[in-house]
Amino acid sequence: MIRTPLRPLARILQAREKGENTDAIERENLRIRHEQMRDDARRRAEGRLLVLGGLFFLAFSVIGLRMGVLASTEPEEPRAAVAGASIVAQRADIVDRTGRILATNLETHSLYAQPPQMVDPIQAARELAAIFPDLEEERLIKDFTGPRKFLWIKKKISPEQKQAVHDIGEPGLLFGPREMRLYPNGKLAAHILGGASFGREGVHAAEVVGVAGVEKTFDQWLRDPANGGAPLELSLDLTVQAAAERVLWGGMKLMNAKGAASVLMDVHTGEIISMVSLPNFDPNERPRPPARGDAADSPLFNRAVQGLYELGSTFKIFAAAQAIELGLVNPDTMIDTKGPLRWGRFAIRDFHNYGPELSVSKVIVKSSNIGTARMAMDIGAERQRTFLKKLGLLDPTPVELVEATTSQPLLPPNWSELSAMTISYGHGLSSSPLHLASAYASLLNGGRSVAPTLLKQTGPRKGERIVSGEVSAQARQMLRRVVTEGTASFGEVPGYRVGGKTGTADKPMPRGGYYDDRVIATFASVFPADAPRYVLIVSLDEPVETSGAEPRRTAGWTAVPVAAEMITRVAPLLGLRPQIEPEPMTGVTLTAN
Amino acid sequence: MSYLEYSVKTAPTGFSKVFYLNWALILLLSAVASVGFLMLYSVAGGSFSPWAEPQMKRFAMGLGAMFAVAMVPIWFWRNMAGLVFVAALALLVAVEFIGAVGMGAQRWIDIGFMRLQPSEVAKIALVMLLAAYYDWLPVQKVSRPLWIIVPVLIILLPTYLVLRQPDLGTALLLLIAGAGMMFFAGVHWAYFAAVAALGIGTITAVFQSRGTDWQLLKDYQFRRIDTFLDPASDPLGAGYHITQSKIALGSGGWTGRGFMQGTQSRLNFLPEKHTDFIFTTLAEEFGFIGAASLLFLYALIIVFCIATALRNRDRFSSLLVLGIALTFFLFFAVNMSMVMGLAPVVGVPLPLVSYGGSAMLVLMGAFGLVQSAHVHRPR
Repeated sequence: MIRTPLRPLARILQAREKGENTDAIERENLRIRHEQMRDDARRRAEGRLLVLGGLFFLAFSVIGLRMGVLASTEPEEPRAAVAGASIVAQRADIVDRTGRILATNLETHSLYAQPPQMVDPIQAARELAAIFPDLEEERLIKDFTGPRKFLWIKKKISPEQKQAVHDIGEPGLLFGPREMRLYPNGKLAAHILGGASFGREGVHAAEVVGVAGVEKTFDQWLRDPANGGAPLELSLDLTVQAAAERVLWGGMKLMNAKGAASVLMDVHTGEIISMVSLPNFDPNERPRPPARGDAADSPLFNRAVQGLYELGSTFKIFAAAQAIELGLVNPDTMIDTKGPLRWGRFAIRDFHNYGPELSVSKVIVKSSNIGTARMAMDIGAERQRTFLKKLGLLDPTPVELVEATTSQPLLPPNWSELSAMTISYGHGLSSSPLHLASAYASLLNGGRSVAPTLLKQTGPRKGERIVSGEVSAQARQMLRRVVTEGTASFGEVPGYRVGGKTGTADKPMPRGGYYDDRVIATFASVFPADAPRYVLIVSLDEPVETSGAEPRRTAGWTAVPVAAEMITRVAPLLGLRPQIEPEPMTGVTLTAN
Repeated sequence: MSYLEYSVKTAPTGFSKVFYLNWALILLLSAVASVGFLMLYSVAGGSFSPWAEPQMKRFAMGLGAMFAVAMVPIWFWRNMAGLVFVAALALLVAVEFIGAVGMGAQRWIDIGFMRLQPSEVAKIALVMLLAAYYDWLPVQKVSRPLWIIVPVLIILLPTYLVLRQPDLGTALLLLIAGAGMMFFAGVHWAYFAAVAALGIGTITAVFQSRGTDWQLLKDYQFRRIDTFLDPASDPLGAGYHITQSKIALGSGGWTGRGFMQGTQSRLNFLPEKHTDFIFTTLAEEFGFIGAASLLFLYALIIVFCIATALRNRDRFSSLLVLGIALTFFLFFAVNMSMVMGLAPVVGVPLPLVSYGGSAMLVLMGAFGLVQSAHVHRPR
């Protein structure tokens, strides 16, 4: 920049010559310079302002544009899933077939301590011991004053307890959220649900792991967040289950039995509507497995699934049905029942002497061991084995319980002719009540196999054909006669046409041989017999009915009345209406399935 | 040119000053404030209490303050700039000791009839002092390093005090407003370029260092920055406000749900719905048209301020008006960006609309300064 001097010499000299005030020139030049400077500054300021104005405009445009974008978009609700780790993956609920809760989750808290942060460990220990009577004050003091930096005090505490601990005001006592598995119905369906416990455990969350029952079988599924909170729908019906448990418990007490089991199954779908094993337990407070003694006496033992028993005469219907199916006999064919029937060293006897011969129907109705064994001889070991395998009696049941996979029926080491004869009346082969239920369902539903399931089904799922529909109907007819004129006369429930077969098997001694005063009494029934809907198995362990002169143990006196009572209670809940029995059971009903 | 160098005899005196006020600007301010009353009335569920009525009273008080400030010649305010600044600093220090804690930060001093936020006063005081400084400083010295240090210190002092409160939003606004003043005053652009380069370099270095051996911040600090910059990553925590307000804006659509029909704000989804997030209520009830209209009103206020600043040959007046316009602009630009998820959530109210005493009063006082500069401009 060229600076013009404030006092240019030439002008000063000129002015002096003219006698003018030279200061005026300086002032004049100063003013001009100032004005130039001011103009410069103004120009620059205006430039700056322009830049800023541009920025303002840009900002306005961006904000306006954003408004437009937001105004034209649909509002989107934030989803909890986006929050990610803050929400612990919840275990899915378990519900019964009508959607009633069987297992759900409850938010509780765990209590832990960080001794280094404690203000007054002695006082804290004293107050804690007062809140939780099971904690020892001395031990707490030792823990709190020791070198430990962290210790668990309680895994689950109630809201009241939490408040009480909170009120201690001790900063070293801390709470961690816990998601707890809750079974709101207590002991109901305990063996099916199993139970859950904490797996890996952290301060802020703990993993809930199924330890038994469907909780374990479906553990992965229940924990899978991909299901979107859908509950696990079981085939159980809560009200039926409750009624069944109540009746079975009463029956067990009345018959002085030490245990009992029942299975109620839909014959067409294989759905287990109710399954009870007594004694039972509360899955909320699942007891520890017994360290010693017979595991089968533990309440944790699911008799209906894990209990392998010789189920006695209930098996006879299989031999009769197969013999008819094979065309060897028909229901009216006379069978030689002269006893005892000798086979090698063995002699097969009947409970009573039924005379020289009985029809096939009568063999079942009177429960003749000899008659059944003769039919089995005609069928032969190999064919019998194939037939029982088709009925699912030789393999673990495919039901969705972890306990079921290990329940392999006990079979004779070699399936001899003699084995075939004893198995035909239910000895020499041990299986669970659930096995029996699905075999009965397969045989009586029209003759096609069904697999037992605990999951709710949408329609019938029948497998291969086992017997013809006609044979199935004849089998039901024979079972019906067992109730109307045979060993299961206490099983008659007016209006529900119960058919069934009793079975009383002596319990084996641990070292071989059989007790003569300990039995497993079983009643396997189907109702209504003319149009089958459900199969019910009731099994009592060591029942003794003492109302008579001498103790009675046979199923007809023990299991049957309990089953009848159960059907009376349960059938209305299942939506069955009492009907007058079609008379006679022929024609349409014979071929219908 | 400073007021000492021009004749002040031409400036109006006495009551006649009222006729020389920038009445258009007053009208605009009233219009914006009225939008505020309407929204506060709506947020309260169709009731003047608890917000709309006190807000009206405060606006009336603010108008009074504006007139009072406007009547006083601008050269008086120029001479007071240093004093006002010292007073603001004193208040900022005082709030450390006797301040009330609100929303996790110390911000208020209770002075009986209202709660004073010293940081609000500091904004205007800073602008005033910088304007006075550059008015006093000969133009040729503006870009000399020594004369740069003084305004930088003037800016950093209140910024530091506000940051300690801690109020990151206001601190940033102070920094930007101060830098803007220096820019207006004609400080060489190379300084700004250098600071910008340094800032960007530092930020890049910090982020580049993430996950390497020479990491400059701790992991949790990075996570905080992440949430700060992108609240949507935590929709139920830090991002809750933003998510909800975006929903409100979206549900407003182009024409809105209608007056008093907003659900998002009325059903208490939004905390701070009557203060920092009142814009969402407007956007939901009057839609894009309502929101854009408010934005337009704000833009007009800025344009009027710039126009009067351009016409004013007095350097102090011009700088002061520009500084106030910039502060005002930053207020609503940051607030709107924050509500719409363009900027991180910092506690900045929507000027003249949000419910709040001291912000309104200080802002109206500042517009009083604008009016004073307008009335007493050299002619």
